[in-house]
Amino acid sequence: MSEETKTVFDDGAALVVRSNEELLEKLALMREAQKEFATFTQEQVDKIFFEAAMAANKARIPLAKMAVEETGMGCVEDKVTKNHYASEYIYNAYKDTLTCGVIEEDPVFGIKKIAEPIGIIGAVIPTTNPTSTAIFKCLIALKTRNAIMISPHPRAKGCTAEAARIVNDAAVAAGAPEHLVGWIEALSLENTQVLMAESDIILATGGPGMVKAAYSSGTPALGVGAGNTPVIIDSTADVRMAVNSIIHSKTFDNGMICASEQSVTVVGDEAYAAAKAEFKLRGCYFLEGEELDRVRKTIIINGKLNARIVGQRAAAIAEMAGVKVPQSTKILIGEVESVDITEEFAHEKLSPVLAMYHADTFDEAIAKSERLVADGGYGHTSSLYIDTRETEKMAKHAAAMKTCRILVNTPSSHGGIGDLYNFKLAPSLTLGCGSWGGNSVSENVGVKHLINVKTVAERRENMLWYRVPEKVYFKRGCMPVALDELGTIMGKKRAFIVTDSFLYKSGFTKQIESKLDEMGIAHACFYDVAPDPTLQCAQEGVKQLSSFEPDTIIAVGGGSAMDAAKIMWLMYEHPEARFEDMAMNFMDIRKRIYPYPQMGNKCYFVAIPTSSGTGSECTPFAIITDAETGIKWPLADYQLLPNMAIVDTNNMMSQPKGLTSASGVDVLTHAMEAYVSIMASDYTDPLALRAGALVFKYLARAYDNPDDLEARDHMANASCLAGMAFANAFLGVNHSMAHKLGAYHHIPHGWANAIILTRVMRYNAAERPTKMGSFSQYEYPHAKERYVEFGRACGFDGATDDEVFENFIAGIEDLKEHVGVKKTIAEYGVDEQYFLDTLDEMSENAFNDQCTGANPRYPLISEIKEIYLDAYYDRPASSYED
Amino acid sequence: MKLPKDKSVIVERHNKVVYDCGDTVVKVFNGNKPAADIMNEALNLARADQAGIDVPELLEVGKVGNTWAIATKKVEGKTLRQLINEDPEVERMADFVELELQIHAHKNPLMNRQKDKYARMINSLGDIISEATQYELLVRLDGMPNHNKICHGDFVPSNIIVREDGTMSVCDWAHATQGNGGADCATTYLHLMLGGEKEIAEKYLRTYCERQGCEMSYIQNWMSIVAAAELARGRVVEQDYLLSMIDVVDYY
Repeated sequence: MSEETKTVFDDGAALVVRSNEELLEKLALMREAQKEFATFTQEQVDKIFFEAAMAANKARIPLAKMAVEETGMGCVEDKVTKNHYASEYIYNAYKDTLTCGVIEEDPVFGIKKIAEPIGIIGAVIPTTNPTSTAIFKCLIALKTRNAIMISPHPRAKGCTAEAARIVNDAAVAAGAPEHLVGWIEALSLENTQVLMAESDIILATGGPGMVKAAYSSGTPALGVGAGNTPVIIDSTADVRMAVNSIIHSKTFDNGMICASEQSVTVVGDEAYAAAKAEFKLRGCYFLEGEELDRVRKTIIINGKLNARIVGQRAAAIAEMAGVKVPQSTKILIGEVESVDITEEFAHEKLSPVLAMYHADTFDEAIAKSERLVADGGYGHTSSLYIDTRETEKMAKHAAAMKTCRILVNTPSSHGGIGDLYNFKLAPSLTLGCGSWGGNSVSENVGVKHLINVKTVAERRENMLWYRVPEKVYFKRGCMPVALDELGTIMGKKRAFIVTDSFLYKSGFTKQIESKLDEMGIAHACFYDVAPDPTLQCAQEGVKQLSSFEPDTIIAVGGGSAMDAAKIMWLMYEHPEARFEDMAMNFMDIRKRIYPYPQMGNKCYFVAIPTSSGTGSECTPFAIITDAETGIKWPLADYQLLPNMAIVDTNNMMSQPKGLTSASGVDVLTHAMEAYVSIMASDYTDPLALRAGALVFKYLARAYDNPDDLEARDHMANASCLAGMAFANAFLGVNHSMAHKLGAYHHIPHGWANAIILTRVMRYNAAERPTKMGSFSQYEYPHAKERYVEFGRACGFDGATDDEVFENFIAGIEDLKEHVGVKKTIAEYGVDEQYFLDTLDEMSENAFNDQCTGANPRYPLISEIKEIYLDAYYDRPASSYED
Repeated sequence: MKLPKDKSVIVERHNKVVYDCGDTVVKVFNGNKPAADIMNEALNLARADQAGIDVPELLEVGKVGNTWAIATKKVEGKTLRQLINEDPEVERMADFVELELQIHAHKNPLMNRQKDKYARMINSLGDIISEATQYELLVRLDGMPNHNKICHGDFVPSNIIVREDGTMSVCDWAHATQGNGGADCATTYLHLMLGGEKEIAEKYLRTYCERQGCEMSYIQNWMSIVAAAELARGRVVEQDYLLSMIDVVDYY
């Protein structure tokens, strides 16, 4: 610091900069000071903030005088108000705001927010509000533990520096490190550029050139720019209040606040005349004839604002223009027509000069305001005087204005800076203009913009759920008892049965119908459901269903009939729902984009399975094929969960061997995939394990001896248990791949699962999977442990886990062979060329299947392809680890 | 170089005399003109030529007696200024603007940079304008869009030679730079205004903006800067006018 500087500002703490080298030196000192300041507690900081605000407030009158004297602009009394505001309002707004360390914490959700200072703020301060802006920026810098280096405007450098010095001295006296506040004494563009490049954030209040320089410096910037606030006085407005508010605001500090009114557009002849009369009554001067042109040429030169009029009194400006007006004139008003920028009055004038427009309609006034904003005040402020019951007009105005502050019935100078006429608008002397004004912020700048918030987020586990049908009835012979409830307890009147033609023709539905007859429940039956049910079939069913208007749907059959019935139920209750939307894959069923419509308003849904495999009676899933496009729509949502499932072994006895085999191995796959799923839980695990154990105990028996009632009974339960497990824990890549083997090569679903089952097990069991599934609960790849647990539950043992795993796999292979599952895809008659031709597409589609998401190993498409190839050619299974 | 005896004076300015030497035109500078300025003008001319602009061919840079001179091949025709004076009624504005825009369509990465030049000129004004105004001008200049169009820097009718077939050649490349065409337009406007041709200046500005598809305010943003540049060239008579153009603000 030079000797001369020391004598000027004899404080020893503030930093005065005279050259580029000095600037760099001072910034280095500042960085050290800020480092120390960064360790201060909230209590220490709040004390400094308090003392600094008090000191600035005390100096408000001398600072105001200095500013007017130095710049030759504005009005002392109003500058006093600004200084007062900058100290008192800013202190009041932020006195209790946490800005140091932990500012927010929620231990339940494991989230913590920690405020850190940014470092050195490079502050550019304008001529119009030099001392108040300096106070404001210094105070918010101190409150946030930052250092601040000020680049004042050369026309106001003395008063700006003095304001900064006062704040700094008070801060140091209150315990702040020295060298936190500095300013550039010898201003040059180069100095400002160095400051911008070297600081950590730029708080630039300045013209387009300065703001652009800030943004192109490479340092993050909060820059704000010029405004051109248009005011509309609607025909419904309180004109007297409107006009006096405008005069109050427009004359404030001789019109230098950038949010100040630049033009007023009055809607309707009556309001216009009233406004004009009121302006005149209160001492405003309407320019007439030649006077208008003289003032035009005085205020704007070649499209630019004449520097000499800024912040001058109306009479002084009139004198420059050679127009005689009373000395007490408050505002010079030009009644003009054009809102084009070629009209001088349409510009921002930063002085008590105002344009006045007439509009026939509110829409015309909005159009004028839009243009005025576009030409000079994008993003800043607009204003409207109106009867606030005119909500439609207000909404229209708010929608049209590309300004970040839209003030209603408010003087805009006072209104825009906040907290004076509205107490939720943050007080600030730096008003963000959003992207429209080339700014990074669109609100009033405050302490939150000067801190870095670190968010500490601890790992938390997802809430899980267990959702099954409200009623699951089981045991051989339970069906009539369960159905009885529909009549006697629920008082249902009309039931609609959905089934397939085989079951219908073989009289399967008879016993249901007679039970319904017995209860006096009217019924109808749709029995055209074919395997792999189509949308067209469901649409046909819905026609009948809709005309019958049932209060209950009873689905009887295997997966196809139950799926078709679910779809018909959905189409009946919500004909507007679109399959494209509902079939969209989800990552998390609770976060899916398309919310399913609420079901059950029209119908109660009863599912009665006749095969022991799909578990559809208690799952929220259904698949339907659009026969016209061939697209399969897999639907999954708990809205599709049946209300009542009736698992009656009597209905299962007629399953042919093939069905017993295919649906039996499907049960095993369901149970096992639910068990190794990343969403498996303590609620689903017991169901899956029990289902697996039952399959190993009873599937072979049921297959060998279709009349083995005990085996059938346990297989029926196994199917339903596995269904409830995967209804909540979901499935995995085994099902993804099986779905596509079914779609491309028509291999029955259960067998498609079985062919690849042990291959997928080895793949999932890898200790070093290429990628693991992402789910908060899934901590590390542990599918192998899970398979081993499952194997043990199914009765397999061994000295080591690996041995159990191998024994289990061998056991599965034995069971598969026992129930006639073929070993390879080829053996199911899949043509090699066709298989290879469709393989890439099939692999990608399998990857994209909804079931893939819950798989413990996140598959690569190429890995899926290899598994398919291995299963086609009977190559040895692999874990695809390295 | 030697000038023929039958040479005639085309124009005489305070710092140079231009002679018609039959097949050539020779510009003879005053003795105190620095060699670097002469070389720069010749280099600009050569670079404009290289960029593909229709300019008089550079033949020689040398000395006539003790003073520097540039010789170019003579372009037969009259200057646009002469034609305007002879027949003011003929509409020539569109062609004038079109020619300027054609020049702007050319590039030469080796030419001097416009912003550097203006910054130097603004910085040289320390005795005439306040530190604050200087600062504001520099900030404004710094914020202007960066382009790299060839800008003539003194694009006025007297620097355009119109051949009989109507094609035009542009001479006097002393002030050429690469930069923003808007600044060039503002300069032309200012020169026309200073020449007392207010109406023509206004018409020129409108035509330029229409052809270029820009807002007039875009050009006006340059006015204070080019006015400062003019001031730096030593315009004394028009100083007050130029100062009023300079003393404007975007924001305070």
